[in-house]
Amino acid sequence: MTIRAATRKDLDTAVRELIYRSCLRLDEGDFPGWLELCAPDLRYTITAYSPEIRQEMTWLDHDRDGMEGLFKMLPKHNSDHSPLTRHASVYLVEVDEERGEAAAVTSVVVYRTALDGGATDLFAVGKYFDNINLEGETPLLAGRNVRLDTRELGIGSHFPL
Amino acid sequence: MGRTAEQWKQKPPLPKTHYVDTRVYTDEGIFEEEKEKIFAKTWMLACHESELPAPNDYRTYHHPAGVNLIVVRGEDDRVRSFFNVCPHRGNTILYSPSGNAKRMTCIFHAWSFDSEGNCVGLPREKAGYCSGGDCSVSRDDLGLREVKTQVGYGGFVYVNLDDGCEPLEDHIGPALDTIIEQIDTEPLEVFSYHRAVVNTNYKLWHDTNSEFYHDYLHVHNRLTSMKQEGYFERKMIPYPNGHAEVGSQEVHYEAYEGGKGRAEAGFPGVEGNPWSLIDLFPGYSYNLRASVLRVDSQIPLGPNKTAIEYRSLGLKSDTVEQRRQRVLDNQTIWGPFGRNLHEDLLAVDGQGRAIQNGSRYVLHAREEDSTIHDEVGMRHFYAEWSRRMGRLAGDPTKAVALEKPARA
Repeated sequence: MTIRAATRKDLDTAVRELIYRSCLRLDEGDFPGWLELCAPDLRYTITAYSPEIRQEMTWLDHDRDGMEGLFKMLPKHNSDHSPLTRHASVYLVEVDEERGEAAAVTSVVVYRTALDGGATDLFAVGKYFDNINLEGETPLLAGRNVRLDTRELGIGSHFPL
Repeated sequence: MGRTAEQWKQKPPLPKTHYVDTRVYTDEGIFEEEKEKIFAKTWMLACHESELPAPNDYRTYHHPAGVNLIVVRGEDDRVRSFFNVCPHRGNTILYSPSGNAKRMTCIFHAWSFDSEGNCVGLPREKAGYCSGGDCSVSRDDLGLREVKTQVGYGGFVYVNLDDGCEPLEDHIGPALDTIIEQIDTEPLEVFSYHRAVVNTNYKLWHDTNSEFYHDYLHVHNRLTSMKQEGYFERKMIPYPNGHAEVGSQEVHYEAYEGGKGRAEAGFPGVEGNPWSLIDLFPGYSYNLRASVLRVDSQIPLGPNKTAIEYRSLGLKSDTVEQRRQRVLDNQTIWGPFGRNLHEDLLAVDGQGRAIQNGSRYVLHAREEDSTIHDEVGMRHFYAEWSRRMGRLAGDPTKAVALEKPARA
């Protein structure tokens, strides 16, 4: 199926599958696989609003090269390897066929499961605001803003959400 | 060879200043005593003036001694602090962490207060308090409890619950002199704030900021600092009142994947990529890495629980490009997804677990002519802690009178 030949419903489904697949690959720690879902002009950000300082904040902001570098260095860092699990619900998909792109809003809840004992705790809640490139054979993630409601993140994380 | 239970309990064969009994991190009684003898009598960092830019802007602050405060900028531009407690029936007055309130009004019975702490609104006042002609209660007696407040050292708002406390300048002393030009030449602004609640003792986080031997924890620091010229010549400098400084070094950020120098968005007087860290007693730190000032302030919540507030600051006059550069520099190692901060928190969380479960003594015994891996910074902190608490950190079961700081 090419994007141009696809029906609106096909495109909507393809976008949803892309988002869910992106969650699965991060859950599995398959970072090269996650990058395969991303466009060359990817921009990935994690942001939040602070009511304490009444300002927008950016906690992670990388292009595709930056994400590749981040993944490359992960094995050299000390980190909490308790796995993160993302539960996503795609709320909205808006396809712009003229521009060959789509925008999607996804509610996401991230849990952390302790390696020792297996207890699962809530890590963060927020939304993905995604821009998706529809011009190729398959949809590609061109922009993801992880917009966090949770601002108190315990010991934090080295992993993208 | 492993040690037996008896051997494990033995005090280390070291000077008493060179180890700490882990009960100072776990004992509920000692924690309560710290609230009384240290937190309630020491200047604590509540917020930054940029969080209160306009008259009647306020911030709330949970003081480590256990009191909730309001920090508010008055219409006269002066910053004051008050208990966030309505004198009527003890309710919380302000619930939001920040805002603007010309009248701070308690939601319970609508008593209201101005930014100078005066009671300025009391519904049905005459009917309730002046029914016989004479008033039984005067508004003059219903003001908020004010707390000593000073703004300085980069525009930070310091508070002290002790009405008879020494001036802030006497507490800080010369500890911030080496970065005062950078932080006090022009107004600063907080661009990132978050807090981490960690199951560990607040002193353990302060220790982490006070010793650089733990640079082995961070691949970023090994590459950009430890492997670079000048690292092992950095000096640890103790100051009066338990403060300590880690001497600066030129950091080679480009040695880390994707890293680059920070000179484009610096602070006044900063050249190149220096890195200065100053730890202030009892639990806050100024950490200046060329383009970003990170200030940690701790709110101990229990012997094994602390909330650490992290503020990252640039200049208020920043252009859009300068601010963006600071944000990018900040995120690489700091912030909740930064490479270094997560590692530091992982380590101090692990310490919290170990110290609750079997650790007996921790060692502060490295001596290297007060250079970067010397543990003199921690020893200096515990000398001040011992003086204030009247207990040696190495043997807290016995009360001791220490008028002057113990030798570091």
